[in-house]
Amino acid sequence: MKKIHYITLLFIGLLFSNCDTNDDDFYKTIYVEGGNNIVRIETQSTYNVGDYLYVKADLARYIPEPGQTETALLDIYKTTGNASQFVFSYVIERKINATDWEVVTVNDNQLDIISGSAQNGAYVYAICNYNNTDEYYRYNVGFPLLTAGNYRLTFGYNSSSTNSVEMVSLSAPKNLIVNLNAAVDNLDNNGYYYFTVN
Amino acid sequence: MKKVLLLLILLTTATQAQEKTGIDSKKNEFRVDVLSALVWQKASFSYERFFGGAFSTGFNLNFSDSGKLNDDFERGYRNNVPKFEINPYVRYQLSKGKTSFYFAEVFASYNSGDYKEIVRLVDNNLNGYYTTKKSTYTDFGLGGGLGYKMYIKEAFAIEFLAGFGSNLTNRDKSPDVISRVGFNLGYRF
Repeated sequence: MKKIHYITLLFIGLLFSNCDTNDDDFYKTIYVEGGNNIVRIETQSTYNVGDYLYVKADLARYIPEPGQTETALLDIYKTTGNASQFVFSYVIERKINATDWEVVTVNDNQLDIISGSAQNGAYVYAICNYNNTDEYYRYNVGFPLLTAGNYRLTFGYNSSSTNSVEMVSLSAPKNLIVNLNAAVDNLDNNGYYYFTVN
Repeated sequence: MKKVLLLLILLTTATQAQEKTGIDSKKNEFRVDVLSALVWQKASFSYERFFGGAFSTGFNLNFSDSGKLNDDFERGYRNNVPKFEINPYVRYQLSKGKTSFYFAEVFASYNSGDYKEIVRLVDNNLNGYYTTKKSTYTDFGLGGGLGYKMYIKEAFAIEFLAGFGSNLTNRDKSPDVISRVGFNLGYRF
């Protein structure tokens, strides 16, 4: 019986010890509302098999920060401890029947990388690289359209937003992270850009 | 009637004399918290003074330099890290045993540590940027706990303690909750 008392007391103690602070949260992320068109879908009026769908991002080092009156611009490069990359993600899906869509995947070497870099799997992991000369983070990558059909693109895979994209700095572990929310044109109310490949 | 009264007085005196021998004659106790040292890299020392009845009082000193907490603090997973606590307490013995018993306690806490916040600054080119600013906090809290204590050879103490409280005056910077959890080994003399 005494053993049960000991175990109960120890268990309660460990429960309390896990409550030693309610501050276990992230204290390193700055959330910023970015301007429109930092990330763009390079739309075409028609797409044919063999074309590429380009997604482009141009993120300046100094960006307007809504609500700040003391100074107009925020230095995101300095804030992140000189982070050299910002990342975001998107998914391209093809319609396979009346109701279902499947994720389209290609090999990384099939992507047309003009600037930045990308990794393709369940989603496209887009990496914007910082350019010291023009002080921009840039990404411009084409996704090959290999089969005819109805397609859609969304930025909502790793994001809670629908009509915008979350860009997150790849900061060193002890540096601040900037999480920038940028509106994207051509998305519908559910966060999709629909297009057809002939 | 007088004989009965005399007998009662004699019995009471004899009982009291018996209770004041052994562990009752030892009024002081020092303890070290083994659990805090092993799990949280916290040096925790306690002193307790016994008054012979159900009540006792004492204080607890904690010095913390946990590598994990410091790392979490540096990486931004928490915005404060406790470094020092002094916790005076009063205890009440809940069960009747002399060498093993449950107790309840109320404690106060004066605690301090490091605090980090994100601030917005403006550089020489009048561009804004965010950075972290470190400072220290101090706070005062109150709390309560329950524990179990047993003695070996009426001198060597083993004590389990679980309690928690709340900081009261500087909760923007200090941890909201104070915990007093320990497995203590001590010596009563």
